[in-house]
Amino acid sequence: MHDDHSQHEHPKYAVIFGALCVFTLISILADVVHLPWAVKVVAVLSVATCKALCVMAWFMHLKFERGWKYVLLAPTTILALGLPLALTPDIGEHYYHQDVPQAADFAEHEARAAAHHGSAATEH
Amino acid sequence: MSQTPTAGHAVPPIKMGLAISNSKLCMWLFLGTEIMFFTAFIGTYIVLRMGSKGWPTDPDVTHIRVAAGGINTFVLILSSYFVVVAHEAMGAHDYGRARKFLQWTFALALVFLGIKGYEYYGKIDHDILPGHIAENDQQAKAKVLRESEAAVAKRLEYLAAEAISSKVAEKLPEPKDDATKLKALLAEAGSKAEGKAGEEFRGFGEMFKKFDLMKQGILREDLSLDDVESQLTALKANEQWGYVFKSVHEPHPILYGNIFASCYFLMTGFHALHVIIGMLLFWIVLKQTNLQGWHDFVENSGLYWHFVDLVWIFLFPLLYIV
Repeated sequence: MHDDHSQHEHPKYAVIFGALCVFTLISILADVVHLPWAVKVVAVLSVATCKALCVMAWFMHLKFERGWKYVLLAPTTILALGLPLALTPDIGEHYYHQDVPQAADFAEHEARAAAHHGSAATEH
Repeated sequence: MSQTPTAGHAVPPIKMGLAISNSKLCMWLFLGTEIMFFTAFIGTYIVLRMGSKGWPTDPDVTHIRVAAGGINTFVLILSSYFVVVAHEAMGAHDYGRARKFLQWTFALALVFLGIKGYEYYGKIDHDILPGHIAENDQQAKAKVLRESEAAVAKRLEYLAAEAISSKVAEKLPEPKDDATKLKALLAEAGSKAEGKAGEEFRGFGEMFKKFDLMKQGILREDLSLDDVESQLTALKANEQWGYVFKSVHEPHPILYGNIFASCYFLMTGFHALHVIIGMLLFWIVLKQTNLQGWHDFVENSGLYWHFVDLVWIFLFPLLYIV
């Protein structure tokens, strides 16, 4: 088989592997270090996206493939993003009042957790 | 005008379509469907999580260990690297090197499944399974009662059968699961039997009395969750018959636990299934005595394996860190 990417000089795969390991360590560090939740989410998902791009570009050779990769992957990517976007107004945002047992218990659960943390802080 | 090939003139083959092999095109088309398959789960998880007021994130509650997930991430990344090295070796016709790295990939896939199995064991042991999780105090108490009743009924049936086989009772009552008649049978057996067997028959009476105390407290709603937990601990601590209640789980409610467990097992379960399929693909290559002519197969299996790695790259932060 003579694919177009075979004509290119491949990078040192070990370097890509090293970069992926470093990205994984950064993800774990983001969990160990106490960051605000939103910062943590943005940090780990950005790192995951970087890792995914490394794997796709070099390990899957997409960097060296021709334009067919866009034709093939664009529709699936659009459809993949479409599902969560379509679900968001109904399930994610709840434009209506959510009447489920968990929602009713949540306030009590939070109050109990706050009381527990309060008493723990007093003991210290 | 079309030209007719004539003898003696080599005509280059006309390649229509894309400049990649059909098998590789098929693999990419398949991966396109796989992207939608997994992003449907991941997208649904994100939407459900964002749409829930709360979500269990405490590792002591969810039994999700970042270390295990981190090691598995490293294992999959390393296996992806080995696949790409194997593919490179196939291109250089170094089949021995390719085989060696494919064997390592297969071994790493086994390690991944082993760690995943260990994680699943922890969840199953704590009954963190979809539909099994009590989400509030009332459900937690009801679960203790349900599991304790099942454990006591099982013990009752076992001892009744023992009483019949050791001939301290004549026959099982009709119907066989009539608890009142079975208890009467054990009381009679306890008065006749001697030694350890007799102690077991008599011990049931004491066990049932203590269990019934907890049961009535739960049914009357007199007991708090802490009370139920301490009574269950006391039941389990009994030297003679405490093991009967070993299967009863501690009453620890997890708010939004069921939807969490559904998402966790759905995503990691389908991912593990893909790992197994990847192992089968590598197994097919590895059982060949000569790898010449298997370049495309290795390349396409490698693409599939990198995709499995890609999915995990997103599952790890979403399930283990966020």
